[in-house]
Amino acid sequence: MRISDRHSGLFLVALGTVAAYGGSRLPPVPGQQIGPNVFPLVVGIGLAVCGLMIALGIGHKFEEEAEADLAAHSDAAPAAARSRWNGLLALLPPGLLLFYVYASEWLGFVPTAFAIVLAMARALGAGWRLALPLALVVPVVVHFLFAKLLRVPLPFGFLPMPW
Amino acid sequence: MMQTLLEAFRLVFQQDVLIAILASAVYGLVVGALPGLTATMATALLVPVTFYLSPIAAIATIITASAMAIFAGDLPGCLLRIPGTPASAAYTDEAYAMTRKGEAEKALGICLWFSALGGIFGTLSLILLAPPLAEMALSFSTYEYFWLAFLGLMCATLVARSSPVKAIASMLLGLLVSCIGIDNPAGTARFTFGSMDLLGGIDAIAALVGVFALSEVMRAMTTPEPPPLPRRKFGSILKGMIRLTREYPKPQIRGNIVGIIIGVLPGAGADMAAWVSYAMAKRFSRTPEKFGTGHPEGLIEAGSSNNASLASGWVPSLLFGIPGDTITAIAIGVLYMKGLNPGPTLFTEKASSMYALYIVFLLSNVIMIPLGIVMIRLASHILRAPRSSVMPVIVLLCCVGAFATGNNLFLVLTVAAFGCLGYVMERNGYPVAAMVLGIVMGTMVEQSFVTSLIKSDGSILPFFSRPVASVLAAMTFAALLWPLAVWLKRRLAPARAAAGA
Repeated sequence: MRISDRHSGLFLVALGTVAAYGGSRLPPVPGQQIGPNVFPLVVGIGLAVCGLMIALGIGHKFEEEAEADLAAHSDAAPAAARSRWNGLLALLPPGLLLFYVYASEWLGFVPTAFAIVLAMARALGAGWRLALPLALVVPVVVHFLFAKLLRVPLPFGFLPMPW
Repeated sequence: MMQTLLEAFRLVFQQDVLIAILASAVYGLVVGALPGLTATMATALLVPVTFYLSPIAAIATIITASAMAIFAGDLPGCLLRIPGTPASAAYTDEAYAMTRKGEAEKALGICLWFSALGGIFGTLSLILLAPPLAEMALSFSTYEYFWLAFLGLMCATLVARSSPVKAIASMLLGLLVSCIGIDNPAGTARFTFGSMDLLGGIDAIAALVGVFALSEVMRAMTTPEPPPLPRRKFGSILKGMIRLTREYPKPQIRGNIVGIIIGVLPGAGADMAAWVSYAMAKRFSRTPEKFGTGHPEGLIEAGSSNNASLASGWVPSLLFGIPGDTITAIAIGVLYMKGLNPGPTLFTEKASSMYALYIVFLLSNVIMIPLGIVMIRLASHILRAPRSSVMPVIVLLCCVGAFATGNNLFLVLTVAAFGCLGYVMERNGYPVAAMVLGIVMGTMVEQSFVTSLIKSDGSILPFFSRPVASVLAAMTFAALLWPLAVWLKRRLAPARAAAGA
């Protein structure tokens, strides 16, 4: 997702202003000049100033040079989204994490993890012959490592494991 | 002294520590070698595991895994012209040119041999630098700590390979994130929007996992898969390395020293060390025209530099709790968790643990050579693992790892949020490392800032009147004004050239 410097800069101006305002409204410590309000105020103002400079395009030259340097030294794939749909694919991993947050308690760890691994593998172009065994084995191994050896209380849900 | 040293050996040569070192070495080698998985990501995903280890074993896994990952990042660089970790990006071109000339063994040998040597030099610097600095740090007051932390943040923005304004903005964003919660001088709930989960603040480890692991996976979703490695047989890897060490003593020493200095600078890590060293090698070489055609000189200098910076990055982390790079930013969290709170007293009260740490560093760089050779021989098999089988595992580990750090699902939500944030920032040229340092150091900056102001009754004079504080202040302002000076110089240079013509 590429945002123009003008937009991201203006967003930072807004964020900084809100933070500075919100910070300044915090209750001070009685009898003390300096309280919890000072730091957000300073940071917020700084952020707003930086945002303004970014929106005006100050310092953009440094960035271009670094990019050109990197491009000259390796084949690290130029991140060109091939289509709009392809760009949205990037949202899959955080989406799956959200799914984990809301489903793991109810479904249990292993079924949730099965769905996550299967979805990721398929989205990255794995065939069913790779994706299915992977989704069946990996969650069980991870559950064994974390729940049994490291004693993390992972939810059992519908599918209790033998350990 | 002797007794502490013996105690340290006893701490390291225990079954669980040795197993932890070996396992994390293999883990680091594999993660580092896979393109798109960085050394920082390897460390971030290790954190939940370290909770359940003894303190020395926990730190040992982080040290070993990061050292191995930085070396292993050279592998796909040499063989595919794709850096395995950002720290290898500076000399990927050179290494690949050597492989194309049919000298893959030599290129890999240089990477391995000089990585290990660089790591050992870096460790020596840690051993030599830390005690005198600790002595000095004992007399530091909150004013000095404030400037030190602030200087660290400014360095992080200075060395980010991006626009300095954006780097400062990222850093401030990180500081703002650290404001969330009740962990502030007055204990007021700040920016929590009534949420119970936000009262404790944003967990730094979860944010790190999001920024360094999840956003990396997100990037992999949209970029084409790297080509598989052609199968090939390797000859002797270390042949001729002793000769090269004798032939190029200067680049090697220079690389080590530059790496050590950059490592000590807060926020600047292995990738920066490699870029600077490669540029320096080219500048001071007698044969700069050979660079880029498979010439060993730059490879030696940059390869030793990035590993040297790893160990020296622990100097500010152990002494002041100011991370030397993104890897130690994670390690500091683990240090606190394990009761090894960073600070100068660590060297007096827990001296045996410190010695144990040095031993682990040396040990991991020594075993890097045999394990590295095995890894090189197996590389064509390991790099064959398709991304579609690696990335699902990483996503799952992000979930479980974040959950395990606090047994709280909100942490998983934090990972998702920071993954998206990191992804968007990276794509738009906002350096994420600067933000991470802001998050990690925010509480420390605020505490030293506010305590200092309360002590001085609101006056800012004491910030500049103490001798050490004034020096640190001058350095901070120099770091702040540096980009401006560079910009001015560039503006004036063409003007002068035009006037001269």
